[in-house]
Amino acid sequence: MATSRRAPNTVKNRPRAAALASILMGTLLVTGCGSGESENTLTWYINPDAGGQAAIAEKCTTEADGRYRIETSLLPSDAASQREQLARRLAAGDSSLDIMSLDPPFVPELAGFLAPVPDDVAEATTENVVEGALAGATWKDELVTVPFWANTQILWYRKSVAEAAGLDMTKPVTWDQLIEAAEAQDKELGVQGTQAESMTVWVNALIESAGGSIVTNPEAPSDELELGLVSDAGREAARIISTIGDENLGGPGLATQNENASLDLFQSDSGSFMVNYPFVWPATVGAVESGTLDQALVDDIGWGVFPRVLDDEAAAPPLGGINLGVGAESDDPELAYEAVQCIVQVENQAEYFVTNGNPPSNTEAYEDPRIEESFPMAPVIRDSLQDAAPRPQTPFYNEVSTGIQQLWAPPGAVDPDTTPEESSDFITAVLRGERLL
Amino acid sequence: MTNSGTKNKVLWAIVTVLVLVYALFPVMSILATSFKAPSDLTSGTFLPSSGTATTSNYEQILVGDAQGLFLSALRNSIGISLIATFIAVVLATLCAYAIARLDFPGKGLVLTTALAVSIFPVISIVTPLFNLWRTIGLYDTWLGLIIPYLSLTLPISIWTLAAFFRQIPWELEQAAQVDGATTWQAFRKAIVPLAAPGVFTTAIIAFFIAWNDFVYGISLTSTETARPVPAALAFFTGASQFEAPTGAISAAAIIVTIPVVLLVLLFQRQIVSGLTSGAVKG
Amino acid sequence: MTSAIPAPQAEPTSSPETTPSVKTRSTPEKKARPQYSDRVRAERRLGWLLAGPAFIVMLLVTLYPILQAAFESLFQFRLTTPDEREFVGLGNYAVILTDPVWWRDLGTTLIITVITVAVELVLGFALALVMDKALRSIKGVLRTAILVPYGIITVVSAFAWFYAFDINSGYVNSWFDWLPGIDENTNWFAQTGTALFVIMASEIWKTTPFISLLLLAGLAQVPGELTEAAKVDGATWWEQMSRVIIPNMKAAIMVAVLFRALDAFRIFDNVFIMTNGAYGTEVLSLLAYRQSISRLEIGLGSAVSVLLFLCVLIISFVAIRLFKVDLAGTQGGKS
Repeated sequence: MATSRRAPNTVKNRPRAAALASILMGTLLVTGCGSGESENTLTWYINPDAGGQAAIAEKCTTEADGRYRIETSLLPSDAASQREQLARRLAAGDSSLDIMSLDPPFVPELAGFLAPVPDDVAEATTENVVEGALAGATWKDELVTVPFWANTQILWYRKSVAEAAGLDMTKPVTWDQLIEAAEAQDKELGVQGTQAESMTVWVNALIESAGGSIVTNPEAPSDELELGLVSDAGREAARIISTIGDENLGGPGLATQNENASLDLFQSDSGSFMVNYPFVWPATVGAVESGTLDQALVDDIGWGVFPRVLDDEAAAPPLGGINLGVGAESDDPELAYEAVQCIVQVENQAEYFVTNGNPPSNTEAYEDPRIEESFPMAPVIRDSLQDAAPRPQTPFYNEVSTGIQQLWAPPGAVDPDTTPEESSDFITAVLRGERLL
Repeated sequence: MTNSGTKNKVLWAIVTVLVLVYALFPVMSILATSFKAPSDLTSGTFLPSSGTATTSNYEQILVGDAQGLFLSALRNSIGISLIATFIAVVLATLCAYAIARLDFPGKGLVLTTALAVSIFPVISIVTPLFNLWRTIGLYDTWLGLIIPYLSLTLPISIWTLAAFFRQIPWELEQAAQVDGATTWQAFRKAIVPLAAPGVFTTAIIAFFIAWNDFVYGISLTSTETARPVPAALAFFTGASQFEAPTGAISAAAIIVTIPVVLLVLLFQRQIVSGLTSGAVKG
Repeated sequence: MTSAIPAPQAEPTSSPETTPSVKTRSTPEKKARPQYSDRVRAERRLGWLLAGPAFIVMLLVTLYPILQAAFESLFQFRLTTPDEREFVGLGNYAVILTDPVWWRDLGTTLIITVITVAVELVLGFALALVMDKALRSIKGVLRTAILVPYGIITVVSAFAWFYAFDINSGYVNSWFDWLPGIDENTNWFAQTGTALFVIMASEIWKTTPFISLLLLAGLAQVPGELTEAAKVDGATWWEQMSRVIIPNMKAAIMVAVLFRALDAFRIFDNVFIMTNGAYGTEVLSLLAYRQSISRLEIGLGSAVSVLLFLCVLIISFVAIRLFKVDLAGTQGGKS
């Protein structure tokens, strides 16, 4: 390059440098842009699991017999990051988003970027689907995604502790009973007190169980959204959370406790009651098999529906899971919906539950005999899903949820007299664009 | 004399141990964690409980479930970092040569720009870059990361190389020319051997910087086509969605640290001289 | 200090009149040049030809995005509702600057910056002295060890420190339970103070090597005769330090502090991994990330980014003016 220092013939040099630069950039472009795709390849963006979705993709590809091929692509492990990725790609009009695994709370925000569900698909895929999952798949009274699997928390308890506390676990119990029992037995409750999505899950379940709602008009535009936090239900929720925080009933790690950490607590000597997802069962059984836990622990574990807030009203357990959406910009939405129908088949749902621990949204799937074997608590899960209440179905869910997380965690700092109002004011201000989040 | 010599030796031994502990303990810590079985993670001990040490975490990311995720990220990280390093070093070599060797107006401007770019808050340009990239189709591509990596690697490469080049006795080139060599020959025979170590050192430092990036990695990628390792760590899960991926992350962390340790072991002298000559020539 | 020519201040323009002043400062060819004004012109062209690509790339990847951010910060614009884009002038800035969250995060960021830089300076200086005085045989070992944290990925460092202190997977609580305030139930990431402590520890561990290498270079610049003379005069070790060595390293120290301060001010990785900003550990970079990447509020997020950029500019400006840190001059340039 330095050859021409002596000569003033820069006219010659400039194009040469430019040519070099363009060659360089050209090679980069070629190397940078990934592999080509055949025409009927559908990309399915999946949340991380134990390989179940990839297996279903393979199975459906085989069944399709050349009509389409499903390739999976991984999303981040936490729900909020999954949404970030998908929202950004959808807003960018990315045509590779054929099929997406969507967490229900984010469905409304992304609904505008999804291809409408064809009527016949809607009919075929909603039969026998649990109420909660249907609610989570719907936006403005219209089915915008197809329910795939549905998750919910149930109450796990140590039979020994419940017995010592004199609780009749054949009937639904209330949070107050659990608090009392844990206090009396000097044990700790397994709840999720960390500043994360799980906090909103908890708050929402408590408020819904008390007959309230975090957002009373979820379909309204951002500046007209009304919150139901300042209500008897909101105060009840705050009272339960703050009691567990104040009385140190959630263990020393409560303020950073997620689903996994609460399972650790539950498995320890101070374990008593825990609200958590079905994954705890295979995880605990697996630990026994690998020799780190005693069989006696597994034998001591019982389960029931999510605890009530009011003793005369059924609880509204949390709802999670995955719905399948098809991108509006997909090259072939019809084909994608054909694949979706294959994915959500009853037998796939049952298989997925057995192998990956994620419960079916279709009640029919629960009749598979293998399920009872791997998950003896499957009937409780199925029934819970019928009562489960989705988190606020609003396009501004991220703001609502983050706002709740910031003011309702750690549990020890929650005050029933002030927290509902403060969080309500804060979220309202954020939604009106007056505050940072 | 001998007495104080022994004392000195003991003192230096202590100092050396202290420095080694300081520098390596966190690495040892995550190395120990990477061999823990999932159910052993809560044991509250530094080492895995006896008898439970396992390589299953490495198996998970190298041949198991997380293989696709990790290996593609590793490939992306290596490829993108190497290309970004290469381009940065080429551009910086030209630029530093001009700065050290030629007189042209605006030299100060180039240097000031390099300084300004190096103090730029990465997060400030992520959003606009993201918007631009998705419009022109660079989002989630190698090139889409290589270009912003240049903003991290170019400035330090320019300084380091400019400092190196200033120390080169350029008279040699002229001497060679007097001896009848052409300009190109003079440059290649006399200057290249002197400049090469500096260029190489700069390349290592630039590689470290590109290798380290996290913000661009999580913001400008979304699939295995371009996602680098630091960003991929956030994609690991345990046996299921809610189980902690501690083991897999630790194992992946160790694997991406290996190249760093190797480079440091092989080239510590060059790295030190590169870092110090480039930044402070008081 | 002898060298340190304040290069960028003498901003040469492109007009040929300035050439003589530029020329006189360059050494190798100044005798030959006046006769060959063609050659001068060619050299300038070549200079820009060589420096140009790097210069343009740097401008493209930073100047353009920040200008775009400045433009977008004037709008209310959410990525998922592109139709509702609305011009709000400086409204976003008003929202940010009247929000206590901005000031709280600014405070947190400044605390992290000041404490980490102060600790790193002391620790880095100690390490530099050790490396400077070390015997040849162990110099290599020490330098290799110190470069490991320098080269390690920040995210890896964050995970290493996080797992060590985490109440579930950590061992720190059981190792240090004899210390007052630490027991098996200490939840480091549940309070602002303790969480910041771990975040800063990781930051300090990872970046002290950099500062110590800069200081090592500074140490090497201290004229040996001065230290010798002080020794002969019977100065104690401390007197040698404070009267001779440190004053003579002032430039190196200032550069190191400024660079690290600006780097620490932009801290992101450690906080993102360890707490994600929970419990009062949110920093400005994370605030910007939360608005634009998580909330997809491009307008508000861009405004935070621009403000963050202005903060960095102010810090550099103040440092350069107030402490006369001579950045470009350290290039010893002949610009």
